[in-house]
Amino acid sequence: MQDLGIRVLFMGNNFIRLLGGLWITLKISLLAVALSVVLGTLLGVVMTIKHPVIKAITKFYLEFIRIMPQLVLLFLVYFGLTKSFGINLSGQVSAVIVFTLWGTAEMGDLVRGALISIPAHQYESGAALGLTKGQIFLYIVIPQTLRRLIPLAINLTTRMIKTTSLIVMIGVVEVLKVAQQIIEANRYTVPDAALWIYGTIFFLYFLACWPISLLASWLEKRWKN
Amino acid sequence: MKKTIAWLLTVTLLAASLAGCGAKEKGGTETQAEGGDGAGTQAQGDGAIYRTVDEIKESGKIVIGVFSDKNPFGYVDENGKYQGYDIYFAERIAKDMGVEVEYVSTEAASRVEYLKTGKVDVILANFTVTEERAKEVDFAAPYMKVALGVVSPDSALITSVEELNGKTLIVAKGTTAETYFTENHPEVKLLKFDQYTEAYNALLDGRGDALSTDNTEVLAWALQNDGFSVGIESLGDLDVISPAVSKGNTTLLTWLNDEITALADEQFFHADYKATLEPVYGSEIDIDSLVVEGGKVE
Amino acid sequence: MSEETILLEVRHLRKDYGNGAVLKDVSLKLEKGEVLVLIGPSGCGKSTFLRCINGLEPIQSGEILLDGLSITDGTAKWSEVRQKIGMVFQSYELFPHMTVLDNILLGPMKVQKRNRKEAEADACQLLERVGLLDKKDVYPRQLSGGQKQRVAIVRALIMKPEIMLFDEVTAALDPEMVREVLDVMMELAAGGSTMMIVTHEMQFARAAADRVIFLDGGEIVETGTPDAFFDKPKTDRAQRFLNTFTFEKK
Repeated sequence: MQDLGIRVLFMGNNFIRLLGGLWITLKISLLAVALSVVLGTLLGVVMTIKHPVIKAITKFYLEFIRIMPQLVLLFLVYFGLTKSFGINLSGQVSAVIVFTLWGTAEMGDLVRGALISIPAHQYESGAALGLTKGQIFLYIVIPQTLRRLIPLAINLTTRMIKTTSLIVMIGVVEVLKVAQQIIEANRYTVPDAALWIYGTIFFLYFLACWPISLLASWLEKRWKN
Repeated sequence: MKKTIAWLLTVTLLAASLAGCGAKEKGGTETQAEGGDGAGTQAQGDGAIYRTVDEIKESGKIVIGVFSDKNPFGYVDENGKYQGYDIYFAERIAKDMGVEVEYVSTEAASRVEYLKTGKVDVILANFTVTEERAKEVDFAAPYMKVALGVVSPDSALITSVEELNGKTLIVAKGTTAETYFTENHPEVKLLKFDQYTEAYNALLDGRGDALSTDNTEVLAWALQNDGFSVGIESLGDLDVISPAVSKGNTTLLTWLNDEITALADEQFFHADYKATLEPVYGSEIDIDSLVVEGGKVE
Repeated sequence: MSEETILLEVRHLRKDYGNGAVLKDVSLKLEKGEVLVLIGPSGCGKSTFLRCINGLEPIQSGEILLDGLSITDGTAKWSEVRQKIGMVFQSYELFPHMTVLDNILLGPMKVQKRNRKEAEADACQLLERVGLLDKKDVYPRQLSGGQKQRVAIVRALIMKPEIMLFDEVTAALDPEMVREVLDVMMELAAGGSTMMIVTHEMQFARAAADRVIFLDGGEIVETGTPDAFFDKPKTDRAQRFLNTFTFEKK
């Protein structure tokens, strides 16, 4: 009786579809995190500039992203932009944009903190060697900052992966939605498919998140100084 | 150099945040944006965003919003193909219009938004016609109707409301069935439960003589449970399900209405029923209690 | 002093900070091969003076000339000037994310765009001179304070500067490590380097300096040869300052 439910996994393309859905989940999360690291670093640098207008704008941006629920942001980008400006973005692009805005805000704040924690002496030593401000950032400050970003970047990736289930609301079929589709398609024929399908999803999520944390540990060890 | 980059970035951020804050309807802009998937939104002269029939035909593709996880109306089979009562109709629309069909998986809450932004041309997602919705979208002729149904054991089948007099009827709390019977038939004793599972269990072990909820629900349940049948297939207020298009999209609306009328000649929706709903609701029932042919509700 | 051998000239330098002047009117000349030691009480402005010379602190008025050309009139680029003026600081922390060798090679490779092989050979030679060649692939956190400071000196030296500035480089070190750093500096002095040293190590100052400059309250109070200054200071203030370093049994 037990294998009655699990056979759903082997029907047709079901398993491939689940993997396809997982790929979409991962693609969006990883892309958003990568963009967030780059833009967040830029933002962090900008946030150290002591100009009142710049400070106001960045603070506004940070608070806005912090307060707005991700679902509202997704709707704003996917539907809102079309209604107001006629910009028609696909669900996946909208998701990447929203997640990047979210990740950039978090990273930016962290980078700012990391930057001001680097002793002034290192800036001075670099300058005394004849390095330009840009070079000091590139060779001395940013490499150290990036090392400190790794734990949060990993944490952010896993949180994003979990949040991607929201994007079904803007029409993106990711792994959780595929699961629901499979369960529903077999609603009358295989009523206990749900347990097996969700079990598989759990396993897939684990399979996705675990290598990322392994990568993080490896990087941390390598960069231990 | 750093300051320049800084200003560029902050201005971009500001624009992004502000765009989120005060999004308002903008009328009359001629914008043509090619969506990555979905319909290319075309702003029409009156400020609304949708594609006319000609524009759809020219693009070679019609975009239809459906459910992907509501068996048997719109769902996805193990080969990744869309199936269901709504899908069967969608495929016919595409064929008769001479275009390919692209399906967008929608959620119940976002169906109206999809039409308002023109991201789909038609919604065929078990969309019940209501007055509030009619203010936001345009409904075509109906192709299905939903009413209340009553299921009871074959051994003591209830076939009319009168037979319920003095009997116990099981309902789920907060449903249309509960309201209907409370208001219109106080002579019927009601046994109420919070959850459908409990309600059906009560019917199974005889704590009630019959159970009433949406006829689609009881029909499906009866088929799966031997010894029970739906004695009353259509009762109470009728809700209709129609295709929906963006408000003001008269060309598409007219096309759909003409199509539905024309399909009556071949009893299309009866065929649709046989192909998609019969496995779930059975062949014994009166198909006309669910299906609407030619857009005419009897 | 002949004009050709004056590497650095400071004319009437004035620096303000907050609501007071840290350096009031300082002028001096530094000759090639000369070792100049600046001493004075805390807050007299000697560290600030060094930092003004390589542009880490802006000046309010006055002029600084390197090789006869002004470096304070806005025409010179500090990234070029600082290749000619090397500086070692009191804080001996190196760049923690790089090995000793990478720390040293950063300047030559990225600023001077030198060939890596040639720069590496240079680095190894310098590391050998300070006795740290075996540490070249090690990370700073594995070094002692004295070792880090010696690496910092190499890091500045490899740029082949005309002048080396030393800002109280042993003040933060544990006493037993001070000597190894001072030894390196003595060796540099003996080898003919042009150095300006700010220090509290009086015996070292006496041994290493060609000229001693005593600063107090932002101005040069007295200058002289080490023997003359330490044995018979001309001013009261200098005498009082030197007294703080001597003890008599009561």
